[in-house]
Amino acid sequence: MGADIKKLRSRIKSVDSTLHLTKAMGLVASSKIRRANDAMNKSREYARSVTEAVDMLTSCSECAKSPYMKQSGGDRICLVVVAGDRGLAGGYNANIFRLVREYDASLIIGVGKRACDRFGSKLILAEDFSYDDAMSLSKELCSRFASGEFDKVGIVCTKYVSMMSQEAQIKWILPLVKNENAARQSVVFEPDEMTILNTAIFEYVAATLVGAVRESFASEVAARRFAMDSAGKNAQQMLDDLHLSYNRARQGAITQEITEIVAGSDA
Amino acid sequence: MNTYRLIISSPDGNAFDGQASFLSLRGANGDLAIMAGHIPFITSVLSCDCKVIFEDDTEKTGHTDGGLLTVDSDKVTLLSGSFKWNE
Repeated sequence: MGADIKKLRSRIKSVDSTLHLTKAMGLVASSKIRRANDAMNKSREYARSVTEAVDMLTSCSECAKSPYMKQSGGDRICLVVVAGDRGLAGGYNANIFRLVREYDASLIIGVGKRACDRFGSKLILAEDFSYDDAMSLSKELCSRFASGEFDKVGIVCTKYVSMMSQEAQIKWILPLVKNENAARQSVVFEPDEMTILNTAIFEYVAATLVGAVRESFASEVAARRFAMDSAGKNAQQMLDDLHLSYNRARQGAITQEITEIVAGSDA
Repeated sequence: MNTYRLIISSPDGNAFDGQASFLSLRGANGDLAIMAGHIPFITSVLSCDCKVIFEDDTEKTGHTDGGLLTVDSDKVTLLSGSFKWNE
């Protein structure tokens, strides 16, 4: 009986410290949510504007000869995988890695500590991912694609649907695909369509990368807060059950002690 | 003076979104200026100082690290990876 009480007391202590941890991580995630959402919305707007401009360029027949629009039909894939910097975010990292397994990629570049550790690439943190990081990655991807090293370049990232729901997705960035729905109007290009496209491609890939990383980071923070909320609730439930068992065991020990004393005095 | 909607956009948000009457910067073929009624136009922008004259005739300069300039019938958008107003 005494051993049971001791065991329960140590379990209560351990679950209690877990509860404190989940609460602290939930609070940290909550404080980051607003900043992450702001950054996501700003970069989304920029990425949309750059995409509109690139769509207008790709709809021109002269741009079809650009090396960035070359559809080689091969299967050498390069993937930029955006995962989290930390764990304890529910299925956030697992969903990304499950999606990556569906593709036979010849090169994987990780963004976020978890992805960098898993795929052995240079450490790039998702939280601190800047436009300069995106531009240097964009230049590397574009030059390797133009030299024919890959047939397709994609980003595996997480789509922020709402605070409760995030979906792993793949966005293909290269080769560029002609957008038939792009707004057609007579536009003056200076110096010419192809030169602008070959310059704007770096901005386009960098804007898409920044947009994807910031959206993924907002998803990670939201997923972590949700996961920590559920973990906190479960820990509280477990703590209540353990307290009940502890009190029962303690009461049982007291009753037994009284019974023994009464039996002793009767004898 | 006639004005148009000018948007200066970067990944960290819009540095400006409002009415302006003049924008000058360095395009792929040299320095250029945009005033109201400019024909639809796209050019790449080099790293340079840009000058903007607002609707109240005040002017301000800022630095862009380069990007893309698009001129539509109703708005002018400067897409820049990094844009900072000069003090």
